[in-house]
Amino acid sequence: MTPIITVPWDEEHKLPGLQSQAIKRCFPVDREIVVNEVSFVRKCIATDTSQYDLWGKLICSNFKISFITDDPMPLQRFHYRNLLLGEHDVPLTCIEQIVTVNDHKRKQKVLGPNQKLKFNPTELIIYCKDFRIVRFRFDESGPESAKKVCLAIAHYSQPTDLQLLFAFEYVGKKYHNSGGSGAVGGSNQKTPFFETYSDWDREIKRTGASGWRVCSINEGYMISTCLPEYFVVPSSLADQDLKIFSHSFVGRRMPLWCWSHSNGSALVRMALIKDVLQQRKIDQRICNAITKSHPQRSDVYKSDLDKTLPNIQEIQAAFVKLKQLCVNEPFEETEEKWLSSLENTRWLEYVRAFLKHSAELVYILESRHLSVVLQEEEGRDLSCIVASLVQVMLDPHFRTITGFQSLIQKEWVMAGYQFLDRCNHLKRSEKESPLFLLFLDATWQLLEQYPAAFEFSETYLAVLYDSTRISLFGTFLFNSPHQRVKQSTEFAISKNIQLGDEKGLKFPSVWDWSLQFTAKDRTLFHNPLYIGKSTPCIQNGSVKSFKRTKKSYSSTLRGMPGSLRNGIISDPDLVPRRNSLILKAKPDPPPPPTSQDHGAEQYFREWFSKPADLHGVILPHVSGTHVKLWKLCYFRWVPEAQIHLGGFITAFHKLSLLADEVDALSRTLRQHRAGSLDAGHAGPDESRMYFRVSAHATPGTPDFLSSAFPFSPVGNLCRRSISGTPLSKFLSGAKIWLSTETLANED
Amino acid sequence: MASAPTSKYNSHSLENESIKRGTFFILIDKEVIYICPFNGPIKGRVYITNYRLYLRSLETDSALILDVPLGVISRIEKMGGATSRGENSYGLDITCKDMRNLRFALKQEGHSRRDMFEILTRYAFPLAHSLPIFAFLNEEKFNVDGWTVYNPVEEYRRQGLPNHHWRITFINKCYELCDTYPALLVVPYRASDDDLRRVATFRSRNRIPVLSWIHPENKTVIVRCSQPLVGMSGKRNKDDEKYLDVIRETNRQISKLTIYDARPNVNAVANKATGGGYESDDAYHNAELFFLDIHNIHVMRESLKKVKDIVYPNVEESHWLSSLESTHWLEHIKLVLTGAIQVADRVSSGKSSVLVHCSDGWDRTAQLTSLAMLMLDSFYRSIEGFEILVQKEWISFGHKFASRIGHGDKNHADADRSPIFLQFIDCVWQMSKQFPTAFEFNERFLITILDHLYSCRFGTFLYNCESAREKQKVTERTVSLWSLINSNKDKFKNPFYTKEINRVLYPVASMRHLELWVNYYIRWNPRIKQQQPNPVEQRYVELLALRDEYIQRLEELQLASSAKLPDPSTSPAGPSQMMPHVRTHF
Repeated sequence: MTPIITVPWDEEHKLPGLQSQAIKRCFPVDREIVVNEVSFVRKCIATDTSQYDLWGKLICSNFKISFITDDPMPLQRFHYRNLLLGEHDVPLTCIEQIVTVNDHKRKQKVLGPNQKLKFNPTELIIYCKDFRIVRFRFDESGPESAKKVCLAIAHYSQPTDLQLLFAFEYVGKKYHNSGGSGAVGGSNQKTPFFETYSDWDREIKRTGASGWRVCSINEGYMISTCLPEYFVVPSSLADQDLKIFSHSFVGRRMPLWCWSHSNGSALVRMALIKDVLQQRKIDQRICNAITKSHPQRSDVYKSDLDKTLPNIQEIQAAFVKLKQLCVNEPFEETEEKWLSSLENTRWLEYVRAFLKHSAELVYILESRHLSVVLQEEEGRDLSCIVASLVQVMLDPHFRTITGFQSLIQKEWVMAGYQFLDRCNHLKRSEKESPLFLLFLDATWQLLEQYPAAFEFSETYLAVLYDSTRISLFGTFLFNSPHQRVKQSTEFAISKNIQLGDEKGLKFPSVWDWSLQFTAKDRTLFHNPLYIGKSTPCIQNGSVKSFKRTKKSYSSTLRGMPGSLRNGIISDPDLVPRRNSLILKAKPDPPPPPTSQDHGAEQYFREWFSKPADLHGVILPHVSGTHVKLWKLCYFRWVPEAQIHLGGFITAFHKLSLLADEVDALSRTLRQHRAGSLDAGHAGPDESRMYFRVSAHATPGTPDFLSSAFPFSPVGNLCRRSISGTPLSKFLSGAKIWLSTETLANED
Repeated sequence: MASAPTSKYNSHSLENESIKRGTFFILIDKEVIYICPFNGPIKGRVYITNYRLYLRSLETDSALILDVPLGVISRIEKMGGATSRGENSYGLDITCKDMRNLRFALKQEGHSRRDMFEILTRYAFPLAHSLPIFAFLNEEKFNVDGWTVYNPVEEYRRQGLPNHHWRITFINKCYELCDTYPALLVVPYRASDDDLRRVATFRSRNRIPVLSWIHPENKTVIVRCSQPLVGMSGKRNKDDEKYLDVIRETNRQISKLTIYDARPNVNAVANKATGGGYESDDAYHNAELFFLDIHNIHVMRESLKKVKDIVYPNVEESHWLSSLESTHWLEHIKLVLTGAIQVADRVSSGKSSVLVHCSDGWDRTAQLTSLAMLMLDSFYRSIEGFEILVQKEWISFGHKFASRIGHGDKNHADADRSPIFLQFIDCVWQMSKQFPTAFEFNERFLITILDHLYSCRFGTFLYNCESAREKQKVTERTVSLWSLINSNKDKFKNPFYTKEINRVLYPVASMRHLELWVNYYIRWNPRIKQQQPNPVEQRYVELLALRDEYIQRLEELQLASSAKLPDPSTSPAGPSQMMPHVRTHF
């Protein structure tokens, strides 16, 4: 294999220096190379008219396709911008399908890699993985250049090898420049990556798990190439035993500890035991060990995910249908049968299935005090979703931004979720499946149902989803940690990069959000409804500080001996549930049954009859009336679906202003208490809110807000009709080319 | 479980209310079994007064309370007989107008259900027993009088009327021109009272085109009426044609008048057979007619029935979305909203004045004009503005509340009943979902209106038209619902409300955004019930309290520090400078 970027195009340009200021502005990413470009391109904005179209230059780089124009975006009145991308840009890894059209010859072709194009395209349509569809016309551009750009996009967006992805080029250059590690942007120190022994050790201590230890037998990936180097196992299992057992597991994926409840019950995930002869014996040994790690020696509850949940192909099929319904089919024609069509995609049904199953496991862990083992063939697909959801429901730490990111590191990145295959970065479609999106969607359902329980906003979730398709970051690029090390080591050798002591190249992390967004834009990640533990709150009219209860998990518990808290069964009724902040006088609930056998149904019923404690367990409502479509994520590029000056964001805006005001007051008060008389000078940068109180701002809803905010559907397909009523005529022109299925693959 | 079908917004204890209102008297007080569809049979004590049925659980593990105004009852049936076998097979089955049924089981011996059946029938259907509706007995006192909320002259004055083109006429003072219209009407200045009388002969039930709303700037108008009496022979009426032209001419810039016929085209054609019809191109040269495809009261009634089937008592789970689709309820909501958007857009863009009618102009027409006005005029999005809107477009213009709801009437299968007003409130709720900051009122306000649409506690929704109300002296003899609401407005306020003048609100009438109003239609099901109060609203209110608390403490601190400093003017951060600084934040 020769992992070298080849640039087979005559017109290669290197940045910087030669390009105009405008282009430089649009290529902020170091090591980005322009592969091909064509001028006098028209970007289509509306389907029924060309009056809003933009003129500019279409550029294909090794990272993205860019459209550079001096024309202002019509109808766009706010700036929420990804620092890596211009407003018309599409990262190459975000491209789903490339369609070229020649009107005059009435020919169309879906462009694969290394294909020939026998006609000069008059039009290029890019179908993106994030549900966008962008369209360019070449009526006034040189036919040959247009063709070359199309072919370049097809070539670069469908690389044959992982090392051809832009991240390698980018990170390689960084190492060259600085001659060593630490070169890549300051990664967010707060999010543990779980690459090290100490991260796992801290997590054990944070959860108060006793009977569990960090195991290092996979250092250097000696045991398994799809496990992390460090993971957590029952203390009673010796390294020697684990080494022997590992051979019996698919992918040598032995049991991995995920999390422990304060009652001592643990959540564990593992692959199937493929060795039939040894199956019972090993299974017994593992279960015994997990039981031993439980302070009450409780039994183990096994959950076979392959048998209870939809499989990855079904999930992918649902997603394809959902996407077809949301963006590809004409808006007006899908209206009449919208609800049943949505049901037929089965997407919501699957989201419900995962939420429901995870909630049932919460019951097992929390109420029945049993350890839970998630079993799955390879233990690296459905397990990721279920393990994460269970922890989001049980542990408020994972409902903070840092906690949520650490959860994704722990249960997805390090656990060997195959991002490369499932996101299909290399366009080998048979392994594609949107499990990560399904997890984000399920998290959104919880956020929707408990809007004050999460530190992050739905914008954060949507942006996180988008970040899986920006091939600059290492986080979502690989099938396993080992793959990163192996591939990047090979790459380093081929490029003469000195790695020193490092295991592979250090790619930029998605968690370093400053690479993508300004500090101000990042404040949109914050949920103004969230009540942090340290934030004072009103209780019965007076301001009090939150007191930590035994049941809460917090990083400050680190370092305390696990045994102190573990095994203490806190009576759930001693801890009053809080409905948000105000304690309500409720009739006494029926006394909890003493038997452990009371069913999940009863547990849920009792739980829902009380106000939810947002810093305790949260359980999803899973009925059809509660599980909804995540409109921001799926409709943000559909102009007809936008509610101008409406949507939840308008309430979010009002809330942010108030939360900002309260924050400012609180700072002033603190400064007062600290004895400083220099009060009231808290800089605006301290604010955690995107929308802030300012003297000159009008109190009304800013006119750039819409239900799609901070995203803008302008430039995607068509514009909204004047009256606010979606009219089918705006799409009638689009129908011709909207359906890719009708395209004949001519040559 | 505490959350059983209790009336959330009406949860004072029975005793308190009976003291408050002298008119209560307990008619029944006995033990029954309430067959709760969610938690199974519950033994309870039932009290029936002339206003309500109240049941309290006698079981220790259930805090269930039922509190049902008798006005809500649409049907009472006996279940089982004296010899029926099986547990709890003998009793009463009660169908309610508010999306629930109640079932009580009694002891089989001694005709134990007879008195309960008779009392309930008597007081739930007082009309059949020559008894007064409860509203006439209600002696509740409030510190505001809701009957003064709507004053037509004031409302028209707010709209800038009368003006050069529109006048207020008292031609209908004694309801002689049209017995289902209000006494006070706004008509074109150039049309004489005689013209109006001649036009009335050509409009179904004499409901002539009159002004509902005028645009403050471009002066285009929304005019409402009933269908023209065209009939099979295609009759024409010069006066009607001329009258519409006069309306068109009140706005000089425009060449055509837009007519929105709310009905589906075929229905409009079919109405010719019964003497009705629509404005033809031939007769009305200067008008453009569009049909809005909204179905009639019977279709809406059946649709809501299907909604009840899928949500009560159990929510259809396996195919929720397709079941919901098969009720067509949201599709009807969509058509009503789409129609209103078109009306609003015509007027707002200044394209033309709009005339809206359906058949009689009291169902679909009221929906369209009131929703369009809600979109166009932010005044109607305030609590009092909305009350005025309902009072004006629905109550005064003769939406037949008595027939559509069947107040005190035992004929549950009456074909005149239909949830048209509920559908309107649903549309308002959909709008408030899409624009969380645009309405002064909250969801509870809308639910309270609907609860008292049926309860018969207030006179607001009684009778079919203003003339009947006047005859019964409703405003003198009953209490207005707005008295209850306006005397406790805070409960009904949306904390996110941002008053914005002159903003036209266009909801997106797409199935992608329309939702079933779970908190209303499925509110009896404790398993489906969504969090109450709304956590987002609640958090906002808490933050407001926190802000006030902080401000207060800051002031205290500043006072304290100023006390320590003998000369505040020498200190750069003395309270004299700091106080205004802190205040400017807000």
